Amino acid sequence: MRATVWSGRNTVQVENVPDPKILNDRDAIVRITSTAICGSDLHLYDGYIPTVKRGDILGHEFMGEVVETGRGVSNLQVGDRVVVPFPIACGNCWSCEHELYSVCENSNPNAGLAEKTFGHPTCGIFGYSHLTGGYAGGQAEYARVPFADVGPIKVEDDLTDEQVLFLSDIFPTGYMGAEFCDIGGGEVIAVFGAGPVGQFAIASAVLLGAERVIAIDGYDYRLQMALNKAGATDAINFNEDPDIVEQLKDLTGGRGPDAVIDAVGMEAAHGHGALHTVERVKQATRSESDRGHALRDAILACRPGGIVSVIGVYGGLIDKFPSGAFMNKGLTLKAGQCHVQRYTRPLYERIRKGEIDPSFVVTHRLELGMAPDGYETFKHKQDECVKVVLNP
Amino acid sequence: MRSKAAITVHRSREEVARLWRDEAYRPEYIEEQDAAVSFKDAPGDRGTEIHVDLERSGGISGLAAKLTGGQPALAKVKDDLRRFKQRVETGEVPRSDGAPEGERFERKLKQRPAQPLSESELEKVGV
Repeated sequence: MRATVWSGRNTVQVENVPDPKILNDRDAIVRITSTAICGSDLHLYDGYIPTVKRGDILGHEFMGEVVETGRGVSNLQVGDRVVVPFPIACGNCWSCEHELYSVCENSNPNAGLAEKTFGHPTCGIFGYSHLTGGYAGGQAEYARVPFADVGPIKVEDDLTDEQVLFLSDIFPTGYMGAEFCDIGGGEVIAVFGAGPVGQFAIASAVLLGAERVIAIDGYDYRLQMALNKAGATDAINFNEDPDIVEQLKDLTGGRGPDAVIDAVGMEAAHGHGALHTVERVKQATRSESDRGHALRDAILACRPGGIVSVIGVYGGLIDKFPSGAFMNKGLTLKAGQCHVQRYTRPLYERIRKGEIDPSFVVTHRLELGMAPDGYETFKHKQDECVKVVLNP
Repeated sequence: MRSKAAITVHRSREEVARLWRDEAYRPEYIEEQDAAVSFKDAPGDRGTEIHVDLERSGGISGLAAKLTGGQPALAKVKDDLRRFKQRVETGEVPRSDGAPEGERFERKLKQRPAQPLSESELEKVGV
């Protein structure tokens, strides 16, 4: 089959590789019809996630048709149309039983590696380095799906691929980020980053009843999408005025947002002045793995007693965590890779009922063979790119 | 030097103790080492803690653990514990393309690329 493989920093290639086989009873093989490039794939592409190997198949957002099932999979039939969540989760461990799927205790066969890095292992993830298991990803013609009796959600309605594909990651991820904010009605929520996850965090905050949602990004076309499609009420372009914290105060009568969502993660671009230069150098020389502007500003901007929700991906360490602001303002920090399996069913229902159409983020549609161009276009935000979908 | 390892299995103490002796679940390396193993109820609904201490194992391996700082013996003990937990909780040992045999200390630095195995590789790992 053809698959998108990582072949060095800033390089992916579409190559011929063996077809996947059933390796365990609870596996299924899926023929992929649509797959997407995620912002977090760019962290791999840019070489900021350790333990990525030459030849690794990338991609953790995919859907398709079941073509084979292992003996232990009775909920799926050959021919079923499914969306596959990016976290691989066994459904049996204490964490899975408590719906903490992205920290499944059993699905990462490189738990020893992950434990060294994070203190504890986290779940296996498709196409996302060997720290998360070394599983082949879904930017390919076929994928092997372990624990297929737990993850995949069947699509039985007349919905297009692009309407349901993002149940694999970015819609639930944005939704979880908004859910962390304990929205009860009347809140002001600020969202750092108007990329695909930020768009869904904004849309979800609106769905959950926030009164105002402020989008923050450096690109006007993304802010326009946030305002026109996702439902943001205000927008801040930090390239026009870099002092995000002050602008958020202006927009909230000095209070600060009730909750702030970091949908940026480790490659924040909005930092300015000396600190940003220092961080760029440190990250480029690999002496600091994560740039921390978004998280720092989120903490500084959030109103006292508020919530900082982190769904942007971090991989290692940041310098200058504002511990004083965090502690003295009495903030709550919530974070995580999304527990996707917890959200697929309820969010599928919202799509089915027409409460949201997630396809609004798609700006680019390419044949799988064009994946290298897709990565470049997405990375450099060319041609007003927000989301690239690949069709094998 | 560390000689201890522990894991919590989401099952009752009776079941864990029974399966620990079952041929299908047997933690081979830990048995070989004759390490000291104890089971303890975990708090709440968390199942059973399995504690292994290599230092208290009989004979040569305890001494080896002392001399080598517990490595790689301790890493292999951890592999055994994880595989036992996986078998008991999920019914299988999860395999990836990078680590097709499942969790193994020896694979940590010798990962395959994350792409499907060829027929001959599949045979080698026993699929």
